[in-house]
Amino acid sequence: MTVLLEADHLLRRYATRRGMLGRPVDVRAVDGVSLVLEAGRTLGLVGESGCGKSTTGRLVLGLETPDGGEVRFQGDAMPPPGSAAWRALRARMQMVFQDPLGALDRRLPIGVQVAEPLEIHAIGNAHERAARVETLLRAVGLRPDHATRYPHELSGGQRQRAVLARALATDPALLVCDEPISALDVSIQAQVMNLLVELQDRFGMGVLFISHDLRAVRQVSHRVAVMYLGRIVEEGDPDAVLHDPAHPYAQALVSAIPHPGRGARRIVLQGDPPNPADRPRGCAFHPRCPVATSLCTMDVPALKRRPTDGRLIACHVAHGDVPAGGGVAEVKEAA
Amino acid sequence: MQVAVVTPPKRRVAGPPPLVIFAIIWLVLMLATALLADVISPYAYTALDLRNRLSPPIGLGGSLVHALGTDELGRDVLSRLIYSIRTSLLIAFGATIIGALIGTSLGFLAAHFRGLVEQAVLALVDFSASLPFLILALAVLAFFGNSMLLLVCLLGLHAWERYARIARGLALAAGSQGYAAAVRQLGASPWRIYGRHVLPNIASTLIVSMTLAFPEIILLESGLSFLGLGVQPPATSLGSMVGYGREYLTRAPWIMLAPATTIVITTLSVSLIGDWLRDRLDPTLH
Amino acid sequence: MLRFLTVRLLRAALTVAMVVTFAFVVLRMSGDPAQIIMGADAPPEAVEAFRAAWGLDRPLWVQYFNYFGAILSGDLGRSMRDGRDAIQLVAERIPATLALTLPALLMKVALGIPAGIYAALHRNSWVDRLVMIVAVAGFTVPSFVLGLLLVLVFAVQLGWLPSGGQESWRHAILPVVTLGLGGAAVLARFTRSAMLEVLGQPYIRTASAKGVPWHAVVTNHALPNAAIPTVTIIGFMMGSLIAGAVVVESVFSWPGVGRLLVVAVANRDLAVVQCILLLVAATMVFANLVVDLLYGLLDPRLRNAPKRAVA
Repeated sequence: MTVLLEADHLLRRYATRRGMLGRPVDVRAVDGVSLVLEAGRTLGLVGESGCGKSTTGRLVLGLETPDGGEVRFQGDAMPPPGSAAWRALRARMQMVFQDPLGALDRRLPIGVQVAEPLEIHAIGNAHERAARVETLLRAVGLRPDHATRYPHELSGGQRQRAVLARALATDPALLVCDEPISALDVSIQAQVMNLLVELQDRFGMGVLFISHDLRAVRQVSHRVAVMYLGRIVEEGDPDAVLHDPAHPYAQALVSAIPHPGRGARRIVLQGDPPNPADRPRGCAFHPRCPVATSLCTMDVPALKRRPTDGRLIACHVAHGDVPAGGGVAEVKEAA
Repeated sequence: MQVAVVTPPKRRVAGPPPLVIFAIIWLVLMLATALLADVISPYAYTALDLRNRLSPPIGLGGSLVHALGTDELGRDVLSRLIYSIRTSLLIAFGATIIGALIGTSLGFLAAHFRGLVEQAVLALVDFSASLPFLILALAVLAFFGNSMLLLVCLLGLHAWERYARIARGLALAAGSQGYAAAVRQLGASPWRIYGRHVLPNIASTLIVSMTLAFPEIILLESGLSFLGLGVQPPATSLGSMVGYGREYLTRAPWIMLAPATTIVITTLSVSLIGDWLRDRLDPTLH
Repeated sequence: MLRFLTVRLLRAALTVAMVVTFAFVVLRMSGDPAQIIMGADAPPEAVEAFRAAWGLDRPLWVQYFNYFGAILSGDLGRSMRDGRDAIQLVAERIPATLALTLPALLMKVALGIPAGIYAALHRNSWVDRLVMIVAVAGFTVPSFVLGLLLVLVFAVQLGWLPSGGQESWRHAILPVVTLGLGGAAVLARFTRSAMLEVLGQPYIRTASAKGVPWHAVVTNHALPNAAIPTVTIIGFMMGSLIAGAVVVESVFSWPGVGRLLVVAVANRDLAVVQCILLLVAATMVFANLVVDLLYGLLDPRLRNAPKRAVA
């Protein structure tokens, strides 16, 4: 397997102010994330909103520049955003958005928008482009006559299909899907995910699939990474993570999936939802963790390989460094 | 058993209300007058008729020779009115387009580069909001003297900040999550993003703003010309005609009333059409 | 509250500084400032003295700071027509202008706000329609046309009032009415739409659904909230106390600041124009500052929040 995309200790900070003249507060949206994506495979990235998974997606696409670490695509470093090399690279990597209606220009027909990447990257003549658009529309399950329709004339699922067709126009090696199904009806979600798997078989692109829905991720991914407050806390085989989550946060996520006859085992997380501007000291998850120990309040656990099965986990308890505790009161980092 | 008869709701495109129809007709009439001034004008606007000085219009004892009467020098008021309409509309159109171009470009620049460029544009917006435009225009005319080109460019600066605000706001909205961000990550150049995608999407809002700024520019031009600081003789505009007619208010009020009525009805028409367009195209703009 | 005040003051100072910069740039672009300020027929040694005094032989940025300093110390050049200090010339005209604009402002507020509130509370009544028609007319009829029509009717036809000049208080009636009518129409339209917007808010419906009497809903909930946007437009009108009568003063030959400005522009008397420009900018900025502070009093939410997010 060839490595398509490597992200090495990505760091992305935002400075926000409290009030007009307040002291700037450093917010680490992404705090040392490393990923490897192999060509033609899918990596799922799971976490609740605000955990930095979308920012990670934008960083690996080069839409934002990391404040630390680097992204290598097919072995080469990412050129600065907006440069000619960066623009040319867009033909090799594409993005699918959460809101297909927002991502499409409502004043242009679908066919024109699907052909636009070909036009931008000067691929083929007018005739070849028209043929390519027809192929793409069929490949995503639309009819060629949909090309003349406008976005508002299509259903939500059809729009996301059109966005997929546009993203695949230049035959990219990498597709980043940022919550591609969360704006769709539940009945449509499965169709779009099946389509994604089908398209991967046919076009062979690597996919970074970002979602808050662990089940959706499992359905399409070859590997899955769970993010919490800007860091990856667990990474491994999707089935293994879903059946036997090791990190307490992953356990909580899995237990939140509705399952007939298993309702009683649901772990309800304590405390406030995480705020990246007010990151707890030590393991960021410790204020909400049911098994936290005093070590967790001081020492940040590293993402390490578990010797038994090779899964990557960042948790003192899961690695057996300390016996499971009973949770601790929140200790905030001194402001 | 009762059978419910369901008639599908008819798709009715409501036509414009009567006042707006009147406004459109009036505006078309004004445009035709401006375009065909050379053909329909009975006399040259500078032609003197010394035998018929201060002759009143039809209905006040005047004759068909000068339908709207003449002024102190025997110049035909109707002919002068026709040429004044041409001048005033030309200036207003030119200025409106210049204002929209400058404002939209600056708004896009602010949205695209952010940072210092954006702060500079916003400071300029604050600056233009801090001075009444008439005073600014008078100051520039005092410093640079008067020419038709300068006048058009100057009036073009009126309301530029409105377009800048709109263009910046809408471009930012399109850029953060929407279609502009999507097109950018396809690898499109800024020219393509703004020219092909953002501009067509915000065009209706910009056009509505233009129809709202247009009557203001007519009023500004006529105000400046009335003060003798806008359009200079021998050229004539609606405002300068009123300014001239003011001297003959007691003896020949028609010289002033004809252009004054034209100004009022024209600005009223464009405002009516603008309000109507705003309600139809862009309910978010107020 | 102190920070709120500081930020506002800084913004105001920045805007005035921009106007001064604008005047400096335009002045430099339009020719030799010494010659222009002193007048074409000033003796050469006077021009030289002026150059030395203003440091016009020094680098441009030094000149720029000197220009700032001169303006701060009140030195705004001399009128090229009678050689007097421009600032003195302008100051003499201010009372005459205020004699028109202050009563006109009173008239706008006294007519416009009650009419707007009444129209909003009696929507689609004949009063509402009348207010709207007058308001549209107030926008589309330019002040010089309105002024001349008033002269035509009340001075020429009826002979009740003088048509121009400044001999007695009767001379002020027509110009004040001309200014006041137009402004009252604008204010009425603005107040009406502000009231209608507030009356459509959920908290108004909640209050009346709770059984609060309608007049109490209006006085306790609707009016204070509708006052916020209305204060802005009144502030703008206050800012134009000095500059708002340019056209009307010309129509009625009223010897105020506006008339002075028009004559100065026609004669290219740049020192006077520059002086009026700065005076007007200072008035506008001051009025905006007052509005901002009033906002803080009327709307507690805005007291500490930045007016525009620095995004």
